[in-house]
Amino acid sequence: MSPIYLDNAATTPITPEVRAALAPFLDTEFGNPSSRYPLGVRAAEAIDRSRALVARASGAEPRDVYFTAGGTEANSMAVLGAARARRGKVEAARVVFGPTEHPCVRNSALALAREGFDVVQAPLDRAGALDLAGLEELLDERCVLVAQMLVNNEFGSLYPVREVSRMTRKRAPHAHVHVDAVQGLGKVDVSIDELGADTLAFSGHKLHAPKGVGALVTRGTVALEPVIYGGGQEHGVRSGTENVAGIVAFGAAASAADDHLEASQSRVRNVRAALVQELDSLDGAAPVVAGPSVDFVCAVELPGPPAEVWQHHLEARGVYTSVGSACQSNTGEVSGALRALGFDERRARQVMRFSFSRYTTEDDVERAARTLHELAPELRAATR
Amino acid sequence: MSLAPPDLVLVRYGELALKGGNRRNFERQLARNIKDVVRPIASSVVRREHGRLVVVPARRVEQVARRVSEVFGVKSASLAWSVEANAEAITQLSRELLNDALSDVPESRTVTFRVRVKRADKNFPVQSNALERQVADAILPGPERVTVKLKDPELELGIDIRQEGTYIFLARLRGPGGLPVGTQGRALCLLSGGIDSPVAAWLTMRRGCQLGFVSFHSYPYIGEASKKKVADLARRLGRWQRRAALYVVPFTEIQVAIRDAAPESYRTVLYRRMMQRIASELAEQQGYQALVTGECLGQVASQTLENIACIGAAADLPVLRPLLGHDKEDTIAIAREIGTFEISCIPQPDCCTVFQPSRPIIKGRIDECERAEALMDVGGLVRRAIDGIETIALEGE
Repeated sequence: MSPIYLDNAATTPITPEVRAALAPFLDTEFGNPSSRYPLGVRAAEAIDRSRALVARASGAEPRDVYFTAGGTEANSMAVLGAARARRGKVEAARVVFGPTEHPCVRNSALALAREGFDVVQAPLDRAGALDLAGLEELLDERCVLVAQMLVNNEFGSLYPVREVSRMTRKRAPHAHVHVDAVQGLGKVDVSIDELGADTLAFSGHKLHAPKGVGALVTRGTVALEPVIYGGGQEHGVRSGTENVAGIVAFGAAASAADDHLEASQSRVRNVRAALVQELDSLDGAAPVVAGPSVDFVCAVELPGPPAEVWQHHLEARGVYTSVGSACQSNTGEVSGALRALGFDERRARQVMRFSFSRYTTEDDVERAARTLHELAPELRAATR
Repeated sequence: MSLAPPDLVLVRYGELALKGGNRRNFERQLARNIKDVVRPIASSVVRREHGRLVVVPARRVEQVARRVSEVFGVKSASLAWSVEANAEAITQLSRELLNDALSDVPESRTVTFRVRVKRADKNFPVQSNALERQVADAILPGPERVTVKLKDPELELGIDIRQEGTYIFLARLRGPGGLPVGTQGRALCLLSGGIDSPVAAWLTMRRGCQLGFVSFHSYPYIGEASKKKVADLARRLGRWQRRAALYVVPFTEIQVAIRDAAPESYRTVLYRRMMQRIASELAEQQGYQALVTGECLGQVASQTLENIACIGAAADLPVLRPLLGHDKEDTIAIAREIGTFEISCIPQPDCCTVFQPSRPIIKGRIDECERAEALMDVGGLVRRAIDGIETIALEGE
């Protein structure tokens, strides 16, 4: 039986159409896009086509798309770059970051604290959603940057970024609004104007492109101090010879994600519903919901032993899931959203994450749920 | 003109010079071990010269010297320059070496210094003492910069005059001592993902013992990442023994059998008795003469004298416990030094956490262990575990 991959928030498989798009660039089309002969010019043109595709998928202008080596780099460039570009413009400059940001945003913000910025984290409410009133209190004239993710990687929480942007414009007119949309692209409509963001960060491998490519998208001209210096590629915002094959793949993947958006959403809605229904009869299992959410991620509190034990038993039967965010599983930390929901460390360890893509079928999750049911007697015994 | 890079590494060994009859064997093994660790860095010639080894690498001589200075059995290693055996050439090179060393010292500081000559080649016309004075007089820049101090100087310029060649060197990299791995037989080390067992392995290797590793894996209660962690530890230890086998024993069936048949408080002790049985049988099959564990008296509940006795009684081979008298801090200090600490600290459950008893027995009794085991098919469990072993051939760093 073929494996069932339900860990799409960690990474996704490369689709045949994406592989076909990038293949020539690992082969005969190896030119450096800065070279002036046809081989190089063709590479430059391929990058521009990708730029247009990513622009279209995010409602931006092609000239405002800067390719990066991934989501972490795009987020770091925006957080560090926007804050540093505003250094000295206001007294006691403040940086606000969202309550459940990815470590690349959170740790970049914490690095700014060491540079003298006043760095604060926005709170969650008791339902695990963003506490907008609490955020509003943090915003004032001194604020130079607000970083709030669009979709959370652990629970699929969908944050009210549009409201965050509006509130920021009103209360903190000097602030740059950055949105980590790594888990958003392909799952919700990402339009930079409607989100009211100054910058968006994307990652290729979350939507069926390879690892090692992403993008930072801006709304018009924004002040960003480069984090990487070099030969001035990507308008000097991100120097370094372009990852042509990765960029071409990302363009194809972003375009496909945008084309399939509505179909993906309705399909995944059914997939999630099927999983929740199948697990309804598993005693002690309950979905964990942290505020308004997308259907692409479904966190479930499981009975019996820690979710990691379930995870290995599932993987032994060809079902791949995740325990917490794969990025943080090394530290054993309890996530902020779970703490807000009142989970202690023991209960936090019971939480398993299922995450879907537009290729996940109802049959996949039904088989996964069946496997959980089959394992239940043995694993309940494990805790005696 | 700047100083040419050193062309060879002088390797001194301590203890083995004392071991009369075995000395030749030890020297050969040390030379083999050195060749083995140096091979991935640069093609090199390793020569034995009365009571020392000379390594002549084709490139990257400094990296070779650092690497050689970690090999068990090495007392110290020096980067050295070979020179023609005449006083003029020796003086000339000595001056260049001293000036080069002084260029790293702030102008305002005075450095203490001496020249030490060893003249093994008595055909060389000048006596050691005379040559020391002659060279020092010729190269010293002036008392405000360098003063002579015969005992514990900051800089010591060594000149070795031998029939095989004349070498000049400045610094000594301290080696770890011990005996060359492979001179003291073979043992099988029970390796967990913890802090202790890798240190126990390292200490045993330092006494010249060649190790294999055995680890117990309770998949799917424990994930692949735990197995990788143990393999990473063994690979790190490969810095002192380049090649080793890691035997990964499937342990789930045994843990389930113990959970179902034995009193809960005895689970941990019984797991460990089964590990000793399996390791003993595996050791006999694979030609290991002893077991090595990271046990330390009184460190955790399973390591009281009573429990160590219960556990050890299940082994058919001598059990070496090099950490027995260590405080935890001693062990951690070594783990940090050898680079296993940070790997051990990656949080990954090991098999002992599976069905962990809430109140483990502190003073286990052998008769109780045996009573519980009488209810299980111990022979069958051991056999099936051994049949299911996955052997990983490790190549160290």
